[in-house]
Amino acid sequence: MIRDITLGQYYPGDSKIHGLDPRTKIICTFAYIISLFLVRDFLGFAITVAFLSYTIFLSKVPLKFIFKGLKPIFFIIIFTFTVNMFMTKGETLVEIWFLTITKEGLYNAFFMGLRLILLIIGSSLLTLTTKPINLTDGIERLLSPFRKIGVPAHELAMMMTIALRFIPTLLEETDKIMKAQMARGADFETGNLLRRAKSLIPLLVPLFISAFRIAQDLAMAMEARCYRGGDHRTRMNAMRFHWRDALASFAMIGFIAIILLQAYVF
Amino acid sequence: MPIQVKNLTHIYSEGMPYQTVALEDISFELADGSFVGIIGHTGSGKSTLIQHLNGLLKPKSGNILVDGLDITDPSVKLRDIRQTIGLVFQYPEYQLFEETVEKDIAFGPLNLGLSEEETAERVKEALELVGLSYEEIGQRSPFDLSGGQKRRVAIAGVIAMRPKVLILDEPTAGLDPKAHKDILRLIRTVHREERNTILLVSHNMGDIAAMTDKVLVMHKGRMVMEGTPREVFSKTEQLIVMGLELPPSSKFTESLKCRGIDLAGLPLTIEEAEREIAGWIGKQ
Amino acid sequence: MKTKYLVHGAVIAAVYTALTLLLMPLSYGVMQIRVSEALTVLPALSPAAIPGLFIGCFVANMLGPNGMIDIILGSSATLLAALASYKLRNRPLLVPLPPVLANGLIIGPMLYYVYAVPVPLWACILWVALGEAIACYGIGLPLLRYMSKRKSIFR
Repeated sequence: MIRDITLGQYYPGDSKIHGLDPRTKIICTFAYIISLFLVRDFLGFAITVAFLSYTIFLSKVPLKFIFKGLKPIFFIIIFTFTVNMFMTKGETLVEIWFLTITKEGLYNAFFMGLRLILLIIGSSLLTLTTKPINLTDGIERLLSPFRKIGVPAHELAMMMTIALRFIPTLLEETDKIMKAQMARGADFETGNLLRRAKSLIPLLVPLFISAFRIAQDLAMAMEARCYRGGDHRTRMNAMRFHWRDALASFAMIGFIAIILLQAYVF
Repeated sequence: MPIQVKNLTHIYSEGMPYQTVALEDISFELADGSFVGIIGHTGSGKSTLIQHLNGLLKPKSGNILVDGLDITDPSVKLRDIRQTIGLVFQYPEYQLFEETVEKDIAFGPLNLGLSEEETAERVKEALELVGLSYEEIGQRSPFDLSGGQKRRVAIAGVIAMRPKVLILDEPTAGLDPKAHKDILRLIRTVHREERNTILLVSHNMGDIAAMTDKVLVMHKGRMVMEGTPREVFSKTEQLIVMGLELPPSSKFTESLKCRGIDLAGLPLTIEEAEREIAGWIGKQ
Repeated sequence: MKTKYLVHGAVIAAVYTALTLLLMPLSYGVMQIRVSEALTVLPALSPAAIPGLFIGCFVANMLGPNGMIDIILGSSATLLAALASYKLRNRPLLVPLPPVLANGLIIGPMLYYVYAVPVPLWACILWVALGEAIACYGIGLPLLRYMSKRKSIFR
């Protein structure tokens, strides 16, 4: 079971989107999400879908993967959709038994549902085309101007990088501990919620002890290699903006402009 | 009743492009009270096999009969299997979690549903079997103990469940020579006192040669050899091809033989090798 | 920042993420019961847990199926709660309270406004708070008790 968990959603590729600077992608994703909440009608969504589709096309990520990201929240989407449809008050369209579907309900259901889907797809494009390591780098660079007001950008990014590196290791440890305790009769599956909660102690405590043991070794190794924090630390692969990033940024600005115009002027 | 494994097959990630056949058509028998060793190169399937024996994994096909009951049957309750088959993983001290040694060892018996009195009995017994004193360490935190002691407490935690079959995966891994000997002595004591069946998985050929009465050899998911230690270790070339080696005593006499020294037999222990060499010297 | 502090924070983050990923179906979505939230008691034992939990939540959300808004609001809620739990470290019974409140009051409205969950706002808040309480009090409090006796590993 553990072996089948693919870490994050990164889909390897060398498309134009993959090649963009992570900072550009992060900022554009932010902008995209904001614009989603500026849209007021389905025409606005149509423009969004067109823009998103072109981006997906450029990224060369198969549609199968895009929709895989929706799977876990599939039920939420259905839930949102259905309840909106049946519980919104307004002009009655259809009456089935004791449930009423109103015109407003139908409209809301589709509107909210679509917005949610577009939100998730847009965000997953970011994680699908950017390696977690590069995302971390991008975040660190974006946050570094805030160092002046005390945000420890480098340290946070470093923590993230180390954490990412150790997740597979800890997943294995958890597996080993779980099996060892199960061999002693531990049961993580039966019982009510509270009982199952308590049964996790024989799993969590040894996991922590192991995790901190690993931390100890790592700290020693880092200091042995003269790690002293982020000041004056250089990079192996320096991040630079390319004309591609400028192009993407302009495209994004153009998109938001169109959305705003469509929603508020026309 | 002996444990019977019949045509056990297990495939990891079946259906995926990276699926691996971990076990292929494995069959063997463990006689009651025997001391059996399993050897095999890393990746040969040893860990997978032992996890099937105590029900942690279910096979794709095949049966495992314990006391006449097929434990691969989905309706068999895991709790019953764990009572009969105990499994000590590698580096078992990493499973310690309780506040005191006594409570940690009691974890297993309590999970089996034993009463508090019975459990207390078992804890004392188990500690004695592993060579530790209940008075001295019973109430101490398991994390305050030395590495060797921690391991013994962890093993005690499984022994306290009084399994009919005790499986140990590399019980001497990472220990210094003295602690290594202590653990081996512990295993012998448990085997003698509890009269159970012991299955020892190890890379240490010397341990296997000295302690087991039957050896199973695994290679790439298949069981390729079965026999007494002497029988198995006499097939030297085959073992080397599989990436395994002889026990140190035999390796030594083999290298002497290569230099023309005429020694008979295959000593399984250092003592045997001593006698052989002494005998040869006597004849000169 | 001292290396040890950094590394401690990193492994706490890694444990949080590992546990969240492990129990994937439960960890994401409207009906969140994140076992890993039990770790929110850790700031009472080590200040490194404050950034550690923040990063852990951030990475877990990043690697999961949720949107950007979840990533930001979820981690912010965790950060605020961790700070508060740290301040309350001398009152064990109150330590799990901040995450219950923070998540309830931040994630609850998020579900209502962003995900348009069509139940009243107060229901959203209560629902999230309940899930948190089970994890933080049900698992977190016993965890805190056990780990308090092992404080030495946090040095």
